[in-house]
Amino acid sequence: MQGNVKVNWLKIKLLSSYILPQLLLILVMLVMVILLSVTSPFFFTWDNLRNIFDHSSLYIILALGMTFVISSGGIDLSVGAVAALSGVCMAAAMQGGAGAGISILGGLIVGGLMGAANGTIISFLKINPFIVTLGVMSLSRGLALIITGGIPIYGFPRAFTWWGSGHIGPFNPPMLLAALLTLLAAVVLNMSRFGYYTLSLGGNEEALRRSGVSIHFYRILVYILCGVAAALGGLIVTARLNTAEPLAGWMLEMDSIAAVVLGGTSMKGGRGSIAGTVIACLLLGMLRNGLVVLSIPSYYQQLVIGIIILVAVIFAEVRSRKGLAGTNIKGGSTSQ
Amino acid sequence: MKETMKKMVVFMLLFSLVAFAAGCGSPSSAPAGEEENGADPAATEEMNEEELEKEPTGPVLSSKAQELEQVLMEQLLPLPEFNTGEKIGALIITLANPYWVSMKEGYEKAGEELGIEVTVMAAPTEGDTKSQLETLDAMVARDYAAIVASPIEPFNLVPGVVKANKKGIKIINLGPPISEEALEEAGGYLDGKITVNFEEQGSMAAEYIVEKLGTEGGKVAIIQGIPGAGQSEGRTAGAKKVFEAAENVEIVSIQPGNWDRNTAYNVASNILQAHPDIRAIFCCNDVMALAAADALEAAGKREGVIIFGVDFISEAHEAIKEGRLDGSIAYSMPVYAKAAMILALKIVQGHDVPDEVYSPLLLVSKENVAEFEDWE
Repeated sequence: MQGNVKVNWLKIKLLSSYILPQLLLILVMLVMVILLSVTSPFFFTWDNLRNIFDHSSLYIILALGMTFVISSGGIDLSVGAVAALSGVCMAAAMQGGAGAGISILGGLIVGGLMGAANGTIISFLKINPFIVTLGVMSLSRGLALIITGGIPIYGFPRAFTWWGSGHIGPFNPPMLLAALLTLLAAVVLNMSRFGYYTLSLGGNEEALRRSGVSIHFYRILVYILCGVAAALGGLIVTARLNTAEPLAGWMLEMDSIAAVVLGGTSMKGGRGSIAGTVIACLLLGMLRNGLVVLSIPSYYQQLVIGIIILVAVIFAEVRSRKGLAGTNIKGGSTSQ
Repeated sequence: MKETMKKMVVFMLLFSLVAFAAGCGSPSSAPAGEEENGADPAATEEMNEEELEKEPTGPVLSSKAQELEQVLMEQLLPLPEFNTGEKIGALIITLANPYWVSMKEGYEKAGEELGIEVTVMAAPTEGDTKSQLETLDAMVARDYAAIVASPIEPFNLVPGVVKANKKGIKIINLGPPISEEALEEAGGYLDGKITVNFEEQGSMAAEYIVEKLGTEGGKVAIIQGIPGAGQSEGRTAGAKKVFEAAENVEIVSIQPGNWDRNTAYNVASNILQAHPDIRAIFCCNDVMALAAADALEAAGKREGVIIFGVDFISEAHEAIKEGRLDGSIAYSMPVYAKAAMILALKIVQGHDVPDEVYSPLLLVSKENVAEFEDWE
């Protein structure tokens, strides 16, 4: 009898720590959908839902990279600036006569290099990732300003702008890219050795080191991944707006960190959830869209989004404090 | 588990609160209160009667602004039908900039005056091109008959405009231009354009200067804003044309002042150094004109030099009254906003409209500054 109760309790605990955060988010999202649909007849229309998916795809791509970094126990404040820098590099390459494909590849490589710089300094010199990525953020912005001379670069060939505003059936490239990357990230984080090591870096680095895994290699790889994700974000912004701006992606790092934390990834590392991140991005996208559809003045929009982010951080903190004793580094701690 | 449940409830409550606040916070629009169904015929009729008494013009405009409004109305003849309760959206750049805050107030006042439902949205900051597009996308998902849009830069709103075109929402471009080339490439178009004629601002000021200099003429200089900026280039071109056409007037210097007080001060000092016999300086905005006046004052050479600015900001108003500044070019924000709304209404109601409508301008100088006492 007593044993039975114990087992049930354990099961509930498992449920509450692994699945409940996602259920909670989904529930909140449902409540929001219902509320917004009731308050405005324009919210729950295909056109508008498409808008939400379209706008969220950028945040999703950036937040996926960020999920890896944060669950490895790090943080990357440079993603917004790296997105701008990559976009500017792609634009400058095209301006110089390069084709769209080569330019995009070049931009992605730039993103990867900035990520590698982050990872290398953090891993080898053991400097706090907050400071390092802050430095790289400023450096990337500076480079973007220097390359453009402060003036946005306009007007790209269709082969390039297609990545932002093209059509594939009822969808567009950013949405499909986000969906594809989500699947990929979920598989990698939950099923691959790389994913397991990423979580271990955040959960128990010492154990990983002792088992002979090259910590440096995997940590740098995590940051490269995040840098490339940022560059993909840069591609989408630049292509959609048909403009490469040195100041593009302002505060994008905050949006993606907020989404990752809201999605249930632990700020202390060792636990990460791709599904949570994606749902959180959609939730934030829905909120931004809903506020406009309801015609809330923009002053209030900032306020409301600020409150949501604060609530997310507080919620995450409470959860991680509670989970401190039992945090494990097993791949099972991720929920897909 | 209990604790988790508690948290869940709190979380949901918070979100509901947010959404509830959202519902309450929508800006008040038509007095009829039929938020979601502005087409309610009874409500519209009621409004008609109410509003008709208020016609023809709002009581708050200053006498000079009314003069401008007169000019504008002539430009927009035949006038569309008012008090029809049409829903018009306006997308401005940002409420973090006082210029756009007064634009927003102008739009809302025009909405009340014309008996239409106006909603103004904005991007969070001056540089957030992505959010501005996202805001436009979300606006297009609503039921506006027309949207008056002012883009942060020529390209960022293009995809949103294309969506609006497809849905049949009329797009009117106010102020900074949306690139029509890029629009065409994307398969979209603008239904109307309204702007301030920058070139005319420059030429009006220059004509006044040339007249004051008389047959004797003399050396003149131009202080630009940021090179390449539309306002700066337009105003410079307009002034240059008039100066070049005038006899005995010689442009000795065209220098960028970057819209910046300090830069303009230094530039004016340098011009004075190089040309002690300078007779007039035209500056592309008031801030720079005030700085140039200070610079000449400091050098003891203010006497006999005409300094002109553009925008007629309140500081310039004071300076013109006190004789520190010779004049400025004014346009009225409320009139500009109202013009945009009338243009939108005309387009929605299927009238023919000119390719581009210009908000009328007024020249302010020491001769007529007294008439601007109640200008806002």
